[in-house]
Amino acid sequence: MAYDILIASVPVIGSYFYTYALYKIGLIRKTLHVNFWNFIIGLAFLFSGGAGFLLLILMDMGIVIPITPQLFYGHVEVGITLAIVTVFHFHCYWKSSLEMVFMRKKRTRT
Amino acid sequence: MKKRIIKALNAFPKERLIGALSSIPLIAATTMSGACGASCPYGLVNDPYPGQCPRYLDLNSDGICDLSQLAATAQVDQTTQTTQNSNAQPTSSAQGDDDEYTIGTGDVDDQGSGNVSTITDPNSPGFNGDQTALDATNYHVLPISILLLAGYFFTHYLFQRGILKPKQHKRIWNILVTIGYTGTGITGMLLTLMVNLGIRTAYNQGITFWHAELAILMVVGTLIHIHIYRKPFKRMFKVIFGLKSSKRINSVKSPPSSK
Repeated sequence: MAYDILIASVPVIGSYFYTYALYKIGLIRKTLHVNFWNFIIGLAFLFSGGAGFLLLILMDMGIVIPITPQLFYGHVEVGITLAIVTVFHFHCYWKSSLEMVFMRKKRTRT
Repeated sequence: MKKRIIKALNAFPKERLIGALSSIPLIAATTMSGACGASCPYGLVNDPYPGQCPRYLDLNSDGICDLSQLAATAQVDQTTQTTQNSNAQPTSSAQGDDDEYTIGTGDVDDQGSGNVSTITDPNSPGFNGDQTALDATNYHVLPISILLLAGYFFTHYLFQRGILKPKQHKRIWNILVTIGYTGTGITGMLLTLMVNLGIRTAYNQGITFWHAELAILMVVGTLIHIHIYRKPFKRMFKVIFGLKSSKRINSVKSPPSSK
């Protein structure tokens, strides 16, 4: 079984750069760009995390359902998307993430 | 209200109710695999060494996980039958085309002829093959989830009492969720690449184990993250789906207009 990494990653990367370009040009507001990608990460998490959790519980209980291989495949494919969108999430909140991790104070303009 | 429910239940024919209830286990039995404990939990077929999951089990030493082999169920059934027969005879053997099982009541003793491999009686004290597999698949879902939730309630309590600053509270959980995502992402990508490139190392099972462990941190951490940032989370739906007019949302952040 081979997983399609490009199918799961290229459309997402393309879409991110597209909405980022729209925001930079000024066609959409930053809140819409950020919230749209927050929604996408939420969806990816819901599917990938949900499928993973379900597989884990089924495996612990020793139950095999007919859609287990498809569920596993979908979990991996959406997991690739989730990993990439997580990077974008950090990009969206880059400044606040750095402040949070290194406890840096906001610079105030004088 | 109670009377209405009782009336409705009485009106419903009991025979139908019993029939419907008795069909549930039948449906469950047909949709689930017949061999719950003896088939691959991921539904993999002929998974070679070292296997994609910690339940890798190779009793016949053919380099393929017994659970993923199509004939695993039949072999297990055959083995069970042989074990039952072995109560009458001290040692018996079941022979197949490629694989041979020798079920005995004694200790491990390699026959050394071709593919013949001997497995010890599961009842004997020396048998620990399946036990090892079970230990390896214990992902500690509940203990980790409970620990994380207890930790969150504790920090939330400290934050509410003013002992912990809101920023510190957020920082702790943001770092934990970052660790969860980074760990799960890296191990997941590693596993995907290993499967795609056909790389099979002894570390595969360890990576899978840590992928699952960190995924628990990721899932619970994300739920906590959503709870911490619940206000922006609710606003997200308003912004995307326009549940409230976008002008109103924008007017909050935009500078006040001159009146």
